[in-house]
Amino acid sequence: MKFTIDWLKQYVDLDITPVELTTRLTMLGLEVEEVRELHTSLDKVKVAKVLDVRPHFNADRLTVCEVMVGNETFKVVCGAPNAKTGMYTAIALPGAVLPGGMKVRKAKIRGEASYGMLCSEKDLGISEDHSGIMELSDSFESGMDLADGLSLKDTAIEIDLTPNRPDCASVIGIARETAGFTGKKLIHPILNDIPELTGENVPFSIEVESFEDCPRYAARLLTDVKIGPSPWWLQKRLLAVGQRPVNNVVDITNFVMLEYGQPLHAFDFKKLAKSKIVVRRAHSDEKIVTLDGVKRDLDSKMLLICDSEKPVAVAGVMGGDNSEVSDETTEILLESACFNPINIRRTARRLNMGTDASYRFERGVDPEGTVRALERAVRLMIDIIDANVVENGVDLCEGVKPRGEITLRVQCVNDLLGMEFTADQITDFLSGIEIDVKALDQKILSVTPPSFRVDLEREVDLIEELARLKGFNEFPATLPTVHMSFPETDLDRDLRKRLSSVMISLGFYEAVNYSFVSNQHFDMLGLAPDDSARSVVRLKNPLAEDQNIMRTTLLPGLLENLRRNINHQNLEVRLFEIGKVFYPRQGEELPDEPLRLTALLSGRRQPGSPILHYGSEVTDILDVKGVAELILDELSLPGISLKRSADALSFVAPDSFAVIKSNDTKIGEFGQCASNMLKRFGVKQDVFYLNLNIDDICRLCPAETAFEALPRFPSVKWDIAVLVPEHVGGGEMVQAIMDSGEKLVEKAEIFDIYRGKTIKKGLKSAAISVTYRSQEKTLDDETVGVAHKKIIELILSGFAGQLREV
Amino acid sequence: MEDELVRLKSVALKALDSIEEPDALEPFRVRYLGRKGEFTLLMRKLGQAAPDDRPRLGKLANDTRKEVEGAFDAKKSELSGADNGKRSGAAPQTDLTLPGRAVPFGKLHPVTQIMEQVCGIFEGLGFAVAEGPDVETDFYNFEALNIPKHHPARDMHDTFYISGSVLLRTHTSPMQIRAMKEKPPPLRMIAPGKVYRCDSDITHTPMFHQVEGFLVDRKVSFSDLKGVLTVFIAKMFDKDTPIRFRPSFFPFTEPSAEVDIGCVICKGKGCRVCKQTGWLEILGAGMIDPEVFKMVGYDPEEYTGFAFGLGVERIAMLKYGINDIRLFYENDLRFLSQF
Repeated sequence: MKFTIDWLKQYVDLDITPVELTTRLTMLGLEVEEVRELHTSLDKVKVAKVLDVRPHFNADRLTVCEVMVGNETFKVVCGAPNAKTGMYTAIALPGAVLPGGMKVRKAKIRGEASYGMLCSEKDLGISEDHSGIMELSDSFESGMDLADGLSLKDTAIEIDLTPNRPDCASVIGIARETAGFTGKKLIHPILNDIPELTGENVPFSIEVESFEDCPRYAARLLTDVKIGPSPWWLQKRLLAVGQRPVNNVVDITNFVMLEYGQPLHAFDFKKLAKSKIVVRRAHSDEKIVTLDGVKRDLDSKMLLICDSEKPVAVAGVMGGDNSEVSDETTEILLESACFNPINIRRTARRLNMGTDASYRFERGVDPEGTVRALERAVRLMIDIIDANVVENGVDLCEGVKPRGEITLRVQCVNDLLGMEFTADQITDFLSGIEIDVKALDQKILSVTPPSFRVDLEREVDLIEELARLKGFNEFPATLPTVHMSFPETDLDRDLRKRLSSVMISLGFYEAVNYSFVSNQHFDMLGLAPDDSARSVVRLKNPLAEDQNIMRTTLLPGLLENLRRNINHQNLEVRLFEIGKVFYPRQGEELPDEPLRLTALLSGRRQPGSPILHYGSEVTDILDVKGVAELILDELSLPGISLKRSADALSFVAPDSFAVIKSNDTKIGEFGQCASNMLKRFGVKQDVFYLNLNIDDICRLCPAETAFEALPRFPSVKWDIAVLVPEHVGGGEMVQAIMDSGEKLVEKAEIFDIYRGKTIKKGLKSAAISVTYRSQEKTLDDETVGVAHKKIIELILSGFAGQLREV
Repeated sequence: MEDELVRLKSVALKALDSIEEPDALEPFRVRYLGRKGEFTLLMRKLGQAAPDDRPRLGKLANDTRKEVEGAFDAKKSELSGADNGKRSGAAPQTDLTLPGRAVPFGKLHPVTQIMEQVCGIFEGLGFAVAEGPDVETDFYNFEALNIPKHHPARDMHDTFYISGSVLLRTHTSPMQIRAMKEKPPPLRMIAPGKVYRCDSDITHTPMFHQVEGFLVDRKVSFSDLKGVLTVFIAKMFDKDTPIRFRPSFFPFTEPSAEVDIGCVICKGKGCRVCKQTGWLEILGAGMIDPEVFKMVGYDPEEYTGFAFGLGVERIAMLKYGINDIRLFYENDLRFLSQF
């Protein structure tokens, strides 16, 4: 909602500064969005009288004008077609900076000296008119400031109106609030001398099919209308709030809408078949061409204003071009009505046309304001256009329901607000903004909500008014007295926090990606057409095609992050994301939203670490395995296994993929991303990933932690060096040692794998260190030797190994 | 045995004293202190001593051996110092300008950091934390929050729809309904999470994060709301941060308030970020509307409560001076590593 301070002063005696005004309005809930000084750059623009116009000797389209500004005369070169001797116009003198940023200076134009510039309204930012230089009436004095002459100096204010305050979608509404906090009286342009409209003996008829759709419809007829431009004061008001003046009739209806918040519409009366108005819903295949020249398809719930044959307006939204006021119009039927907000809102949405009128109707206009605004417009038409108003008019108001009184309990006010008000104070506050209050006693008040405040329906609405008028910052800040209780913890959240801190300590950065992704991702991952990940929750109205489905995996988002980082020369990337994925559930309205952790590793093994100390080795599959092991260790889940899986996924390198299980429950996987898939994501370097299903993990119970007594006797380490075939897994040998049943074995660890010139092809050398310990005594060489020999035999026979000569 | 120890000690120390080259150190160590060295051999004889004497002799043997070891270490460092001195003329300095040897940690996303900070403050006040679904029904997201179909307040929420009645939640407020439908009052809860609106420019992304909070009990007042939020802002920002409440409108609270804090950029003097007002809008709040209580079966005559919601990215942007919200979702390490 836009207005100007000068305009506001028409309705309230204002003796505070603009800054005070805007602050007070904001603190009353009418948030001031913008304050703009109007026409600040016109200080070197003066009124000039054109004394002589002669052709430019060197240019066909230019003229040289001799103009008088005060008691000086200047020559100015001008390109406008309308410059003529004797006219008053606007001149920007050298030094002026025009609103468009143009600097005016003394210049020679095609050989003729020009002192300044004669200006159009557009040049001066007054309107969009650029057809010629301004033509001012001879009531202006040459030499005076143009801004003074046109009283242009003003301050425009824009308010970001909340949907509950349609009453303030009007300058009078703002003035009412202003009057409330300044203690001044609101000056109404129309008092209560509004004629009653009985509908008798009028040369037109109105029919409203449903008062549910149209609670009130009033209309009057004006004759002897001469369409023309409106006077400057009216144009100025509209221009100041960004509205384009059209003609006197339209400008008056717009002005009154802005003044009262009541949209009005003027029909060309001669174009209404049988002088009849019918307010009805559209037929299902009906169409109308609206004022903006667009043909609209209507549906049977849309409310129309029709004549006896055809629709002439979409009710509350926009008029039709078949009944539009034109230069030839001489009689107008002026409509002021009140429509059902829900119906208007639906229509405006369906037709995708929000207008100033629909904005107000869908929030609710004052049903009592209908005839007042109509009367105001009629009087302006008489005053400005010299129109003749036909006696009487129609006012069908069966749909206006009386509003009951609201009981306001002082105790409730004070309980809810935490501050003590008396009945008298409450009365004072509310009556300041024209709300009628009767104190029944010191505890209970009876409030009649005014018709313009459609938002006041309940006791709590009045309590809010009171808090608003008192000022929110006047209330004390206290802490609630509550019963102590231990807040329940959210397991998912706890787990997520723990996992995040492990990931961070391993050098990973957390990523957050959009939950919606492109369905292209599935093809890029190479998923089979029947892959379960392809069953998705789809958006009906995505912002972009690459955000049209809810994600079922976190991997693609992270791969896109990786590509972005590589493109910005960051090749060492460890990223993880903990977030929801979305799977539709059969027979359920809402999808399943399991939580996942996915991590990506690519580039150098220890990103960000000093190369001097850590070298430039790149990540391999065992790095991601290490991450998985550390996380699993933190989770201490029972029966953990990490096993190479035969049924590898389409997007992983087949021999570098493992499934993570806790007993028989699959809880995640890790592996190397397939290079053809990476190519589709624009990534050329090796990438490894880990995925954990946090929801599944949450459902598992962590293994019990039980203390184990510290060993009392020392351990000894004996080594084995064996040659084994390539296919033998190092981990398998370690596992075999651990599972050997040899009681003294405490631990086995591979400390070297060697392939080289001295080793036969197809074999590798593995060095394993075995730790032996007894719980009963310090071990001697002989005892260890017996056990160690068994272990060696186990490895040699179990894995086709041979002892390596050291 | 005692004599043998004394003799061995003097022989060893004499031998050590005569060493002048570092190369001679290792043979000395092997001979006297090694696993099969003279001290070890001597100590094996301990078993032959009278049982009563064993502890005393054992201690003596250990002490003697330690004494020789100490002398050996002293000789070793003496020779190594002399050795370096001979070759370069001066002891080399440790180069402390080289980088330390450590692998750096990663970092949490700034949104997570702020969200945890916010949750932490309210957890300290005894609020439980719970998260609801991102895909919501029209009922929880709108209807139950007193935003019926065709209400102009729906204009404030550009909604992504999955179907006619299922949508991506446009705010975290549906958690109020879910929590209240599940439990009787009193309730104290915050609900952090992702929310979605079809809007994308320098200040809007189609997904962002909110933290919702609410408290319901008997006799909870607007002043209590002010008190709790004042504590929150003092903890989240500076304790001297000015704060103001001004009336606003949300269909699910009445009275409704916007909470502003003194501009953290210009300290209230007026700048581009605060649009010259000196104030920054930081969260929305209000007393829970009686209609909402009726929807969940609470008696509005008996219980009152307050609710608030704040945008996590907005707070992060203000705290760190981030000027483009889209940066949060590019996951560029140059961005993520700054927080």
